[in-house]
Amino acid sequence: MDGLGGLGGPDAPDAETSAFGFYGTWREYLPIALTNLLLIVVTLGIYRFWAKARERRYLWARTRFIDERLEWTGTGMELFVGGVLVILLFVIPYFVATQVGQAMMMRGETAIGLALFVLPLLAIFYLMGVARFRAIRYRLSRTNWRGIRGGSDDPGFRYGWSYMWKTVAGYAAFGLGVPWAMVSLWNQRWRAMSFGPMRFTCSADFSPLMKRYLLFYFSPFLAILAVVAFVFAAAFGLQVDGEFDPQNPPIGLMAAVGIAFLLFYLVLGFVWLAYYAKFFRIVVGEMTLGDLSFEFDAKTWDWIRLGLGDVALLVLTLGLGFVFLGYRHWKFFIAHMQAYGEVDVDGLTQSTTRRARHGEGLLDAFDMGAI
Amino acid sequence: MENGQLRAFWYDGVTARRHVGTAFWHGDDLRLEGDDGETMHVPLADLVFVERGVLDGSYSRKVDDGFRLVFTDPVPEALAARLPRGARFGKWIDGLGLPRAAALFAGISAALVALVLTAPNWLGPRIPPAWESRIGDAMVGDLQDVSCRTPSSDAALARLVKQLDPDNPPTNVSIANIDMVNAVALPGGQVLVFDGLIQESSDPDELAGVIGHEIGHVRERHVMQALLRQFGLSILLGGVNSDIGSTLFGLTATSYSREAEREADVFSRAQMERSNISPASTADFFAELAKQGEGGPGWASWIASHPMPQEREDAFRKAVVPGKAYRPSLSRADYAAIRDACAKDPDVEPFDIF
Repeated sequence: MDGLGGLGGPDAPDAETSAFGFYGTWREYLPIALTNLLLIVVTLGIYRFWAKARERRYLWARTRFIDERLEWTGTGMELFVGGVLVILLFVIPYFVATQVGQAMMMRGETAIGLALFVLPLLAIFYLMGVARFRAIRYRLSRTNWRGIRGGSDDPGFRYGWSYMWKTVAGYAAFGLGVPWAMVSLWNQRWRAMSFGPMRFTCSADFSPLMKRYLLFYFSPFLAILAVVAFVFAAAFGLQVDGEFDPQNPPIGLMAAVGIAFLLFYLVLGFVWLAYYAKFFRIVVGEMTLGDLSFEFDAKTWDWIRLGLGDVALLVLTLGLGFVFLGYRHWKFFIAHMQAYGEVDVDGLTQSTTRRARHGEGLLDAFDMGAI
Repeated sequence: MENGQLRAFWYDGVTARRHVGTAFWHGDDLRLEGDDGETMHVPLADLVFVERGVLDGSYSRKVDDGFRLVFTDPVPEALAARLPRGARFGKWIDGLGLPRAAALFAGISAALVALVLTAPNWLGPRIPPAWESRIGDAMVGDLQDVSCRTPSSDAALARLVKQLDPDNPPTNVSIANIDMVNAVALPGGQVLVFDGLIQESSDPDELAGVIGHEIGHVRERHVMQALLRQFGLSILLGGVNSDIGSTLFGLTATSYSREAEREADVFSRAQMERSNISPASTADFFAELAKQGEGGPGWASWIASHPMPQEREDAFRKAVVPGKAYRPSLSRADYAAIRDACAKDPDVEPFDIF
């Protein structure tokens, strides 16, 4: 049995090195990103499926787990087929349903018309959960480590229902059940996943999250109070100063109000990231795989820097820098992931889960992240 | 037959144990002999190149079961020639080479985009008239209740339209019991003249100019082009709105391209010349509108939907042939019948566009 570091592979780490390592550089990735961008533009976006496959092949090949690199075995064609399936099986029927529903309502058949509007929305809600589950399943099944891959035997349809009712329940409790819903759903979907012969386990508890969540929950009210107080003070200051001349509006005051609004959303975003950072730390920290346990050590400030960096990249490149976001996010993820424990290479046999044939069409359609 | 051997390691895709050993290659075959005694047989044709970061590249099998092979010694030329090369961008693009493929795709995309952007212009006239009528019906429906008709106004209108529309059957022109100063061409080949415009006119020749212009839009298939431009392809599926009032209002605000406006004017002038109607009245009418432009109450809507540069008034003025024997487009009796249509029609319903 080999422990971590004793496996003797090409990248064998010493005792201090983390179990995860990322060896990519932005200079090396730049040609890939730029050719991806070029081809995406000249194909009006169709190439993005192949671009994503190229990106993942590079990123996985530059990622080390213990002593061996990961490999991405997915193809652009798979993602493309997944996308086309979503259009045929979902987008077109959705479009038809809403048009017919509109016609029905115009004809006075309000009940049927309304149903034709509402049902697709409910279907989307359900499919969001299914999409997230299947995307994780797909990514695990296309990730090889030492020739072994992951996956799930569960097609994800039951998870879709859980996603619906838990999300509704979380929000129905005046929004206070959201941490419970998030953690419970994370546990549920990862417990259905496996790598090789071993199932993931996850038993995270949401209670440590409530403090930060309540901070986020109440921050809008506090912020609005602050804004109102500020506006009053400014108005009062104007009164004392003298007339308010409508021909010369107080630009300073208006600018200050504008900046206050921006800051409001920015600060709200930071408070949310504070909650989310802890959420991610907790859920990953409670996951195990066989004898391995995991840890994610990014702090709130790390997440904020990631977010601000993304915004700066997009703004400075007028949006074209989006091709680099995948690289940034993966690097962030690997840099902060840790694993502890032991791996039995003879016990790590090939996964027996079905290797699904299509990509993350649904996920792409709903534009969600998988993890 | 070429052969050789080199050190390698591989994973068999059954367990995560690494097998280190020697790869013996003979012709098109590989025999992997591990130092631990296990052997594997892999035909070279089965291999697929996989990109990898540390060493020169690893190979998997087409059957994609997790098998991975990495050579740790330098690969001899003869073997390298038989090993598969990986795809860089994708099969098609690698085949053409990136610059040529990019240029080809760019050309196709540009053509597609141009096609879509100009779709209103080339698609509009090709919509079958029957389809357009259905769209018109769906948008506006039955106009019977709001059209003003008396036997004498119907006859007068028919006489006027015959002078303005060369085709048979002529365009259906009705008077709408709406107190706005406007006229609108409906999808499906109908023209509605609002009573407000009739009341504001002082001369049947002015009506001839306006109605001729709207008939021009119908005959040149501008209506469909304008609708496609404004509402997009969704209009083909049966319209935007079922409320007759707002739809009519929307149609009056439909913006035709300058080219369409010019074509409709040309049509109108041509018809008026054919029927010996003087364009002078219409030129005066436009001049009056231009003068009232900035704040005239009733005319504002006509102006908003029919831009009035000086050139339109000038074009009609220039079309007046000096010395030509013009005659009025309608007799006094006919003109009066049209003006009285809404007042005298017993069946017409009052209509408020808002």
